[in-house]
Amino acid sequence: MKKEDTVKLISAEGMEFVIDKEAAMVSQTIRNMLTSPGGFAEAEHGEVTFPEISAVILEKICQYFYWSLQYSRGKETEFHIEPELTLELMMAANYLHT
Amino acid sequence: MGAACSRKRDQLDNVDGFDRGVSGRYCKSGSSKWLATTFSRPVLEIQREKKKCPSLLELCTHKIREDIDNYVSFSTLPRDLSQQIFNELVKSQRLTDVSLEAFRDCALQDLYLGDYPGVNENWMDVISSQGSSLLSLDLSGSDVSDPGLIYLKDCVNLQDLNLNYCDQISDRGLKHISGLSNLRSLTFRRNSAITAQGMAALSGLVNLMKLDLEKCPGIHGGLIHIKGLTKLESLSIKWCNCITDADMKPLSGLTNLKSLQISCSKVTDFGITYLKGLQNLSVLNLEGCPVTASCFDTLSVLVSLLYLNLSRCNLSDDGCEKLSKLGNLKVLNLGFNDISDACLIHLKGLTNLESLNLDSCRIGDNGLIHLTGLQNLKCLELSDTEVGSNGLRYLSGLCKLESINLSFTVVSDGGLRELSGLTSLKSLNLDVRQITDAGLAALTSLTGLTHLDLFGARITDSGTSHLRNLKNLRSLEICGGGLTDAGVKNIKDLSSLLLLNLSQNCNLTDKTLEMISGLTGLISLNVSNSRVTSAGLRHLKPLKNLRSLTLEACKVTANDIRRLQSAGLPNLVNFRPE
Repeated sequence: MKKEDTVKLISAEGMEFVIDKEAAMVSQTIRNMLTSPGGFAEAEHGEVTFPEISAVILEKICQYFYWSLQYSRGKETEFHIEPELTLELMMAANYLHT
Repeated sequence: MGAACSRKRDQLDNVDGFDRGVSGRYCKSGSSKWLATTFSRPVLEIQREKKKCPSLLELCTHKIREDIDNYVSFSTLPRDLSQQIFNELVKSQRLTDVSLEAFRDCALQDLYLGDYPGVNENWMDVISSQGSSLLSLDLSGSDVSDPGLIYLKDCVNLQDLNLNYCDQISDRGLKHISGLSNLRSLTFRRNSAITAQGMAALSGLVNLMKLDLEKCPGIHGGLIHIKGLTKLESLSIKWCNCITDADMKPLSGLTNLKSLQISCSKVTDFGITYLKGLQNLSVLNLEGCPVTASCFDTLSVLVSLLYLNLSRCNLSDDGCEKLSKLGNLKVLNLGFNDISDACLIHLKGLTNLESLNLDSCRIGDNGLIHLTGLQNLKCLELSDTEVGSNGLRYLSGLCKLESINLSFTVVSDGGLRELSGLTSLKSLNLDVRQITDAGLAALTSLTGLTHLDLFGARITDSGTSHLRNLKNLRSLEICGGGLTDAGVKNIKDLSSLLLLNLSQNCNLTDKTLEMISGLTGLISLNVSNSRVTSAGLRHLKPLKNLRSLTLEACKVTANDIRRLQSAGLPNLVNFRPE
C-alpha cells in the first residue's frame, strides 16, 4: 500500500487507525477535509484527529467504511451494531456525514 | 457534534387544496368519472428506487428502533438525532405511550402524529415537555380531548397545529390554545362541537395565516372573531352548511386573503359583495353555493382572481354574458350547471384560461367553436356533455392541450383524427362506448400520452396494435370486454406502465399474467372478471413494485394472494378479494 493511498484517523485517546483513503472517503466530512484545495492541514499529512470520537467508536466507523464499499460492489450483508454503542455511534456518524 | 440535518416542516402544507389528487387510490373498478376529482386525474408519482447503501446514521436509527424498549431517554442526544429517531418510530409504527417517554425534554420541533394509532391524553405530557422548541404538532384523528390541550400552553412557539378529526375537542379546548399567538396554521376539520362562542379563542391568534374549519357545522356567527386576523391568507369553511351571507361580512377586511373556500355553504350573491375588497384573492371556491350570474359583477373587480370554482351552482344562461368580465382567470370550473352553448360565447375573451371544466353541462358541438381562441388551454373537461365528433375539429388548434376528458360524450371513431395533431396531450379519457379499434388508429401520433382511459370503449385485440408506440403510457385502462390474451401481446412492452386495468375482459387467462410479468414498474393491476386462476399468480412475482392487485370474480382466493404477497411482493398493500 502506498502511503498516499492511506489515511491515518486518530481517536480521542490517540489511537491511530490507518485505512485506505477510498474507505475513509465514504465519510463526506473526511472527503471534504482531504480534498478541499489549499485548505486543511489534514490533506497535506493524510492525518485526521477526532478529539470527540473514542477508539471503540472510531474502530466501528472504520468497519462501516469497508462494509459500505463492499455493499456498493454488490455484497449486501448485515452490518452489526452493538446496542451499547448505538447512541455514541449515531452522534459520530452524524458528525462524519456517514 | 450534531451538524444540522435538514428539517421538513412543509408536511402540513398539502392538507389544503382543491387540486388534491386521489392519493392512496391505485385502482378503480368503475369508470374514472365518479372517482377522480374535478380537475386532475390521479397521478401516480411513485419513483422506482435504486437500492442505495444505507448510511451509518440510518443503520443506527434502525438498530434503535429494533431495541426501542431498552432506551430510557434520548434527551442527551442532539435534537436533530432524537427527531430522526422519533420520525423513524412513527413511520414504522413502533412508537407507544411507553417508548414515547424516552423523548421527554428532547426539545423536538416536529411531532407528526396524524392518524397515529393510540394517541390520547396520556401522550400530552411528553409532547408539552418539548416546550418552546415545538414548532409543529399534528394530532389529527386522535382521541385527545379538551383537557389535553391545556398542556400546549407551554409550547409558546408552536406554529402549526393540526387537530383535524379530533371529535373529543370542543369550545372548551379552543380556550386553551388561545394564547398560542405564534400559530401560523390551525386546522380543525370535521368538528361538530365548535361553535361561534368557542371561536372567540381564535381572536388572539394574530399571526395566523391559514385556518381550516372544513365541515364544522356549528360555526355560524363565529367568523366575527377572526375579523382582526389580518395576516390570514387562506381560509377554508367549505362544507360548513351553516355559513350564510352574514358570515361573509367579517371577511371583508381580510385583505391578505389569497384563498377562500366556501363551497357548499348558504352564501348568495349578496354575501359575495362583501368580498370585493379582497384584492389579493386568487383562489375562490364557490362550488354548490346558491349564487347566480349577478355575483360576476363582484368577482370581476377581484383583480388577482385566477382560480374560480362555480360548479354545481345551478347557473343558467341567464346573465352569463358577465362571465366575459373575468378575463384574468386561469382556471374556471362551470361543471354541473344548466348552461348551454349560448353561454360559451362569453368565454371567448378569457384567453388566459388554462383549465376549463364543463362537465355535465348542456353543451354540444356548436358551443366548442367559441373555445378556438383559448390558445392557453391545457386542460379541458367535457365529460357527460353532448359533444360529438363534429365538435372535436374546434379543438384541433388548441395545441397546448395536455388533458382532455371526453368520457360519456357522443364522440365516435370518425372524430378522433381531429385530436391527432395535439401532440402535447398527456392524458386522454375516451371512456366512451362507441369508440372502437378504428378510432385508436388516429391516436398513434400521440406518443406523449401518459394516461389513456378506454374503460368502456369497445377495443379488441386488433385495436391494441395502435397502442404499441405509446411508450410513455403510465396508466392504461381497457375494460370493454373485447380483449383476449392475443391483444395483451401489444401491451406487454409498454414498460412505463404503473397502472393497468384490464378488468371485465372475461376471456383473459393466466397467459395474460405471464405476458405482463415484464412490466416491473406496475404499481396497480386489475384483471377482475376474467379467467385468471390461482395457478397464474406465480407470473406476478417479478412485479416487486405492485401495491394494489384486484382479481375479483376470478378463480383466485384471498389466501392465494396472501401467499404471493409473503412469497415476494412485500409492497402489496391493497388486494381483492381480501
